[in-house]
Amino acid sequence: MGSLQYGVSVYSYVNDYGSVMTLEDAFDHIADTGATGIEILGEGQVEGYPEPSSAWLDQWFALVDRYKLEPTNFCAWVDTRITLTRNLTIAEGAAELARDLRLAHRLGFKFLRPKFGVTSHELDPDPQWQAYVERNLDLAHQLGIIICPEIHAPTPIKHRVTQGYIDFIERTGTRNFGLMIDTGIFQDRPLTHWGSHQINDEMREHMAFLNGIKVPPEQFLDIAQYVVFIQAKFHDIDDTLEDLNIPWRPVIAAIKRSGYSGYLSSEYEGLRSPWRAIDQVRRQQVLLRKLEREYDLGLLA
Amino acid sequence: MLEHQLIQSTGFRNIGPVGARTGFAVRIRIPNYHGTRLSQLDGFTVTVDGEVYGFEQNRLGIRDEVYVLAEMREETTARWGLLEWGEILVDKPGGLEPGIHKVEVLARIRYSYFPPDVHVFPMHEARLATLCVA
Repeated sequence: MGSLQYGVSVYSYVNDYGSVMTLEDAFDHIADTGATGIEILGEGQVEGYPEPSSAWLDQWFALVDRYKLEPTNFCAWVDTRITLTRNLTIAEGAAELARDLRLAHRLGFKFLRPKFGVTSHELDPDPQWQAYVERNLDLAHQLGIIICPEIHAPTPIKHRVTQGYIDFIERTGTRNFGLMIDTGIFQDRPLTHWGSHQINDEMREHMAFLNGIKVPPEQFLDIAQYVVFIQAKFHDIDDTLEDLNIPWRPVIAAIKRSGYSGYLSSEYEGLRSPWRAIDQVRRQQVLLRKLEREYDLGLLA
Repeated sequence: MLEHQLIQSTGFRNIGPVGARTGFAVRIRIPNYHGTRLSQLDGFTVTVDGEVYGFEQNRLGIRDEVYVLAEMREETTARWGLLEWGEILVDKPGGLEPGIHKVEVLARIRYSYFPPDVHVFPMHEARLATLCVA
């Protein structure tokens, strides 16, 4: 039985990052949880993005080496609606993706999550996404990177968006494109905070997904063969190590049962109170590993 | 380093010549969780002690450049990094009185990955801030 790999996204620490936390602090916090992987936001942690200075690159490689963390996923955006009056062309969108693939590779990353523009409230990606990606499959192959758009609330697993990505994988036969699952899709209880936003009634009305879209965890098994990375989204783990929003027991059971052996990358998205994320991430790392052990002992089934 | 909150304490100041102030500046960290092309920002409404200064008129100062809204909307190369501050420049002849003011900023961020009709997303914060020099 394969075991899971554990990482942390620096996004977990947003707002702390740059105010009460440096890049080195983030490496220290992540490594001390016992995680082995670091996930970053490209246009975020990379100072001078998209062309970091050689001094910054030196610092990056020194930190990777000192803290023994493996670069996992590099988050990128394709700014489809580039201005209010025009969208990116296919050539421009493909060029943005190529630039990010090269930068991610240079920093040692193996996965790149592109965020495409969408055209609907169900988050249908702009149809140009296929051309952006298809023009970059050879490059991704050369660089050893898997491009993985995320399945993120309010988009569930059984949905045309997810199916569209799967159809693309089947049609092209590529091994350089896969699904990222954001575990927020399994959320089954309402949020009180969404990042820096305290959720009010109006937000709940317009963004019903904040109450949880409750994807049944066993549906993970239906798509597991296409999943290459998991962002372990969470918002609040209480003092008894109970997650107040994500039902981790059935989620971990389903992930383990599928045979998935890739990364679970902690992605805290709760209250942005200074320093809160640091311990929340530690709690989640303990919780996830405890549940994996319980599964291995036959206690989770 | 930046302060944790969106609206920074330092940088809340009058602008223009002493004795003939033309307005004031509010320093903010980027109102987004990642660095951003300037064209993805759609202006900043500032409210001070209940008086509203609309996003259509306010300018953004970042590094050594100043952008009016129309310029910012078309600026697809210059970016605002996560560790940089910018300042919202607001016209107000005479400037503000030194002292404690209630300052609110409503930043309008465009997310291509939000549905088109709600893709301009408001980021709002309010605080008491102290302006030191007349």
